[in-house]
Amino acid sequence: MTQPQDLPKEAGHRLEELEHGLFTSDLSVNEFLLIKEAGFHPLGFVMGSSIYHTGIQARRWSKSQELTKLTEAMYNARELAMTRMEEEADQLGADGVVGVRLDVNYYEWGRDAAEFIAVGTAVKAEDGTSHRNAQGKPFTSDLSGQDFWTIMQTGYVPQGLVMGTCVFHIAHRGIGQTLGTVGQNVELPNFTQALYEARELAMTRMQDEANTLGATGIVGVRLEEKSHQWGSHTIEFLSLGTAVTKSSGEVTLPKPITIISLDN
Amino acid sequence: MDDASIDPDATGDDGDLPEAAGRRLGSGSFSSGLTVPDFAACLQMGLAPVALVQGFCVMQWGWYGQGSPYSRGMTPYAFSGPSVPRGVYSESYQCPHGGYSYSNEHRVWGQNYQQPWVESAWAEGFTSSYTRMVEEATEVGAHGIIGVVDTTRHLADMNVTEFHMLGTAVVVRGVAAPSGATPWTTYLAGQRLAKLVEAGYMPVSVVASLASVRVWAYCVTEMLMEGRPLSAYGAGGYLPVAEVEQLSRAHIAARSLAREHVRSQLGHDTLQGAAIVANTQSLAQGDEVIECALRGTRVRRFKDFDPLPAPRPTVRLS
Amino acid sequence: MSDPGWAQAPTGSDLAAEMRLAAASLGKPAHDAPSRAVTSDLSVDESLLLHSIGWEAVDVVFGASVVSIPPFVWTWGSGEITAASEAHNLAVRSAAKHLGAQCTEVRGHGVVGVHVEIEVQRHHVDVELTGTAVRPVKGKDTNHPFVSDLSARDFTLLHNAGWGPVGLAFGASFVYAPRRSAGTAMRQSSQNVELTNFTEAMYAAREAGMEHMQRSALDMGAQGIVAVRVSEGPMWFANHAIGFTAWGTAVRLEAQAHQYLSPQVVLPLDDAVVEFDVQSLR
Repeated sequence: MTQPQDLPKEAGHRLEELEHGLFTSDLSVNEFLLIKEAGFHPLGFVMGSSIYHTGIQARRWSKSQELTKLTEAMYNARELAMTRMEEEADQLGADGVVGVRLDVNYYEWGRDAAEFIAVGTAVKAEDGTSHRNAQGKPFTSDLSGQDFWTIMQTGYVPQGLVMGTCVFHIAHRGIGQTLGTVGQNVELPNFTQALYEARELAMTRMQDEANTLGATGIVGVRLEEKSHQWGSHTIEFLSLGTAVTKSSGEVTLPKPITIISLDN
Repeated sequence: MDDASIDPDATGDDGDLPEAAGRRLGSGSFSSGLTVPDFAACLQMGLAPVALVQGFCVMQWGWYGQGSPYSRGMTPYAFSGPSVPRGVYSESYQCPHGGYSYSNEHRVWGQNYQQPWVESAWAEGFTSSYTRMVEEATEVGAHGIIGVVDTTRHLADMNVTEFHMLGTAVVVRGVAAPSGATPWTTYLAGQRLAKLVEAGYMPVSVVASLASVRVWAYCVTEMLMEGRPLSAYGAGGYLPVAEVEQLSRAHIAARSLAREHVRSQLGHDTLQGAAIVANTQSLAQGDEVIECALRGTRVRRFKDFDPLPAPRPTVRLS
Repeated sequence: MSDPGWAQAPTGSDLAAEMRLAAASLGKPAHDAPSRAVTSDLSVDESLLLHSIGWEAVDVVFGASVVSIPPFVWTWGSGEITAASEAHNLAVRSAAKHLGAQCTEVRGHGVVGVHVEIEVQRHHVDVELTGTAVRPVKGKDTNHPFVSDLSARDFTLLHNAGWGPVGLAFGASFVYAPRRSAGTAMRQSSQNVELTNFTEAMYAAREAGMEHMQRSALDMGAQGIVAVRVSEGPMWFANHAIGFTAWGTAVRLEAQAHQYLSPQVVLPLDDAVVEFDVQSLR
């Protein structure tokens, strides 16, 4: 599925400059200082993108089903973007990427096409120990600088951003069905079943990715639902989180002070 | 005396305030525009809110007067040669093309100039509304006005601008206001005001100023802005990527003038919390009118203080 | 008139006493008045933070620049729209230079909290920069003022960690979206595939913009760029043309080594207030 070594040549010059010592980061000043506290140094702003045509898939109007071709397309597109971002990080010799953001852009001149972008800041441990994941690749995580510092203090380390996606078509209800329930308080079992299934599929796939990385668990799971450009009966469920494993370090998080802030 | 009961008969001339203002201010209970946290902070500072006070003024712009941007065909020069009034900004630009052989449309002269008539009309409107608000506060015996909200609304189709100022009049407990003193005013309220005072600054008054700069574009500016190369005027040429110097300088001048107008109202005091609003109106053919309003609170240092120790950085766990 | 200072956090009664002292001072001449009135757009918190590192605000300063873009560059072509990129970069450079010049005029060491406003129009790029010039209270003048969009708070934090801003690093790049031929369009319409030529075009734009930003930082002798802000999208007047801009503050380590902060971990006990909205029952 993934294609290594396919970064466009334009990426080359910029990454070379970063390898010679200049660092760039889209971390805020707070995050920059906390990354340093955690013993890491930012290397550079890395990004990967892919413009993907998400074509048509035939669907039955009255059947609720997963649209597997579209699921594959959405998955591939994001994978391409993430992989290119990881490659840029790899080229910089990074241990990992923090603050990863996955965005989708639509352009008017590209019907049915969307651009998938993954951006983040590549970081490297200052003491030289490798923090790459079980597959020897830089870890990715959507943790902010603050969350990264906090989790490193708990003795867990990030392995990678894991995601599961499922594009589901929800059946339209026939006239008979609609009239039959007019004015009643009733559960709609079709919808319930469909949406339940879709979410479970997305989360299970995310879990599978985490297992492949040999992770102990996933933190910060987010479930997003979008209809993109397909109309309201077709929804993509995207489940995202950061897979983590317990490292040999102990918990060094200091005991917090409790406060009550009197701000507005 | 803590509560603010006022006897309207005792305060003398109402000036040009509406009749209803006198009744409202004489009512005996306090009103305030403060939010609950700001109200709490106000009491903590030893300030007692007395009344919500406001001032209002509607000004008409004389659009067809001297220097009106709508009157084309007049000389572009508002000021020239020895008749340039002192202290007024103006810069002229001359066509570098040796222009007389081109068409009549070729604008061989251009000028940036400040429009003091616009600025003084704005100042008059602002000052009137401010003065009326302060009058209401004086009527209720207030020492100061906090949390001032100042709104300027321009009704373009009627060439009219409304100035409205609203604030909470307060009394400083335990201090007798020296007679004849004007109440001090500030945009700040609540914790921000408390911090200002703890930092050693006392608000003196709200200050604001408008600077208005008119740009009469000359040929180079017009061509660059409209994207029409010289060939439209009957001579060959192309347009490069170039800084449109006339406009850059006009924009910087408008802002700097607003700052200098405000500085002239500060005496030796400091302007705290400056807020700038700049408005550019593009007229035809590269001409522009740039207006920049600068507002802030004039504050005076009343004590020395040792610098704060560096604050402790924290990470929140929620 | 001196005050014991910040030995402990002021209590309520101290604050009321301060207010009385403050109000009474209005009748007397100004204490310790500077010869030229100071203006600043910093908040009170930021002024206090600056004061804690021995710096002060001097004046609000401005920079602005309007640069023209030649006509016909937005007509659909291919590759990078170099004229637009040049115009953008020239405008930001020029505005930053004017800002620096105003800063030097008032003897500031640099400008913080710069509010950056960039508008790309069909025939011109407008850049407006507004910030506050600051200087160390006991410092000599400098010929190389820094310009930074870091807030005064971030400036103070970095200063305590041993880093200092050098200048505003920025880059921009504009490209045309590539066209698809009709045949290709039809073939792709039923497949889920990557559109490689589009991808490459977007990459080209981003990388060119980011590279310009990096180079501008290297030229200033910086070691890094923090708080990079990126914006991209089609032009409102020509949506087949895509613009990509990036800017941030270039920084350099000024102390011998990075100073670690050792932050205190706090657990706020404020739960978010859930408001009960009666309207929703209708």
